[in-house]
Amino acid sequence: MTRLHAEGLTLGYDDQAIVTNLDVQVLDGKITMIVGANACGKSTLLRGLARLLKPRHGAVYLDGKALTEMSTHEVAKVLGLLPQTPLAPDGITVADLVARGRYPHQGWFRRWTERDDDAVTRALDATGTADLVNRPLRQLSGGQRQRVWVAMALAQDTDLLLLDEPTTYLDINHQVELLRLLRKLNAESGKTIVVVLHDLNLACRFSDHVIAMAEGAIVAEGAPTEVVTAELVEKVFGLACVVVPDPVAGTPMVVPT
Amino acid sequence: MKTTTTVAPQVATAGAFRATRRRRTSRSLVVTCSLAVAVCALFVLTMMVGSFQLSAGEVIASVLQLREDPSVDFVVRGLRLPTAASALAVGLALGAAGTIFQQLLRNPLASPDFVGINSGAGLAAITGIVLLQVSGVAVSALALAGAVAAALLMYVLAWRDGVAGYRFILIGIGATLFFDGLIGYMLTRAQLSDARQAMHWLTGSVGQADASELRLLLGALLLLLPTAVLLQRQLRALELGDDTARALGIRTELSRAGLLATAVVLTALAVAVAGPIVFVALVAGPIANRLLGPATGGIIPAALVGAALLLTADLIAVHLLPTALPTGVVTGAVGAPYLLWLLATTNRQGAGG
Repeated sequence: MTRLHAEGLTLGYDDQAIVTNLDVQVLDGKITMIVGANACGKSTLLRGLARLLKPRHGAVYLDGKALTEMSTHEVAKVLGLLPQTPLAPDGITVADLVARGRYPHQGWFRRWTERDDDAVTRALDATGTADLVNRPLRQLSGGQRQRVWVAMALAQDTDLLLLDEPTTYLDINHQVELLRLLRKLNAESGKTIVVVLHDLNLACRFSDHVIAMAEGAIVAEGAPTEVVTAELVEKVFGLACVVVPDPVAGTPMVVPT
Repeated sequence: MKTTTTVAPQVATAGAFRATRRRRTSRSLVVTCSLAVAVCALFVLTMMVGSFQLSAGEVIASVLQLREDPSVDFVVRGLRLPTAASALAVGLALGAAGTIFQQLLRNPLASPDFVGINSGAGLAAITGIVLLQVSGVAVSALALAGAVAAALLMYVLAWRDGVAGYRFILIGIGATLFFDGLIGYMLTRAQLSDARQAMHWLTGSVGQADASELRLLLGALLLLLPTAVLLQRQLRALELGDDTARALGIRTELSRAGLLATAVVLTALAVAVAGPIVFVALVAGPIANRLLGPATGGIIPAALVGAALLLTADLIAVHLLPTALPTGVVTGAVGAPYLLWLLATTNRQGAGG
């Protein structure tokens, strides 16, 4: 059993089930990327794993305990999430925003400590945002902004980190930069990372494990080199293609025909 | 090579972030203390001026009951203290409630004046004055009930998987117009003397406070301001959106309900005491943010700004103008230009919602 896993998980909004009866194991200390066409339920699954959506059936387990039976405050010390479109109050500075990532470690009366200072500093350093601390978030470029959000999630200092399409709105350079950052975090601290990602080629390049979803079900999962084939891409995205090895990394690369 | 590149910036940023945080903490302390001093000074000043001039020492001695002087005590404790205390309490309540609303709904326009709560209170109070012929505490009780009912109505109408700021505000403006229409209808049905009483109540004045209403508001402040301070952390997380707040371990529905309830009760009691005083709730939070730094959103500083504004407005309304006016007239005169400025700059930045 891995630390985070789901059994018979069914998730949905209102009276519509989006994800049905899934069993998922999130591999400890690895980077898992969830891929699939639009509206296949990949973000829904991530939200379910992060307890933002209550399961209709089944359950998500963290360290053997169902998330619904744990205090959300305790979960937040172990499991972090960066949502797809986080909101920031107008004019907020980078220092203020990243510091808010420390909330799970504070209580009703326990306020800021040296440990909080250290965690924020580590997060700023890891994401290369340390020299931005006094800048307002809205003055930053898209790439910088996204790194600041990752810094906030890192300041939470969790063993597991889930990110919902963190590269949306970024240009290719910043997409790669962000994914490299995630690889670095994973390599340096052994953090377990789960990312919902649109770009299949980047997912193959930067993940240890891919989960391919279609219509609310898992179609295939495993190491990118084993799983990502022309048949799978055809099945998941409805795209006719050939899959060739990436000339740099040797990971699968999808080329439409 | 790797060690030199990672160690060196670490030292630099450790300093940078700590320095930033220390600077912010001390700025917030200095601003909050200065505001508290300013509010105390204004509180004493409003009791010094008038047709019977008093020194600060006489006022303080009388309020703290350090000295017995029947004529001074009559003027201070009998006449001026109730008005000053109600300006202080109403200002604190409106300032705190306004900033909570604005942060929860992520919109600078979302003060209780604009989301139908004042109007709901007004409608209930006027209905009481006109139809039920009540006065005094009963009017305040009705205003309280009206504010709470209006808030619940807004919550039911505007809530759909969390609230979009604009949706809440549009529904609030609609509700305000509807309530105001009904208030107008009530006034046309009223006896002349009732209508006069009703209109006076509607303009909002800290001088109309009744002793028992004031005691209720002061008691509520003693309970609710500390509650608001405890909920400040939750509010700062909720500002980042429900998903982020939940990921940070905040129980979003519970926190939001607690914050809304705090803000609604504070607004309702303030309206019950002084009538619908406009704009204080709208401007207190933004002014506090100006003083503290952007997006700091301190509830206590905003409450103090509210109190300072209302005490100043009362000074101007009663003493500086040729004829004494209700406080609501002065806050309106100050608040309207601010609102125009807010609308203009919000559009330019495209960051209103």
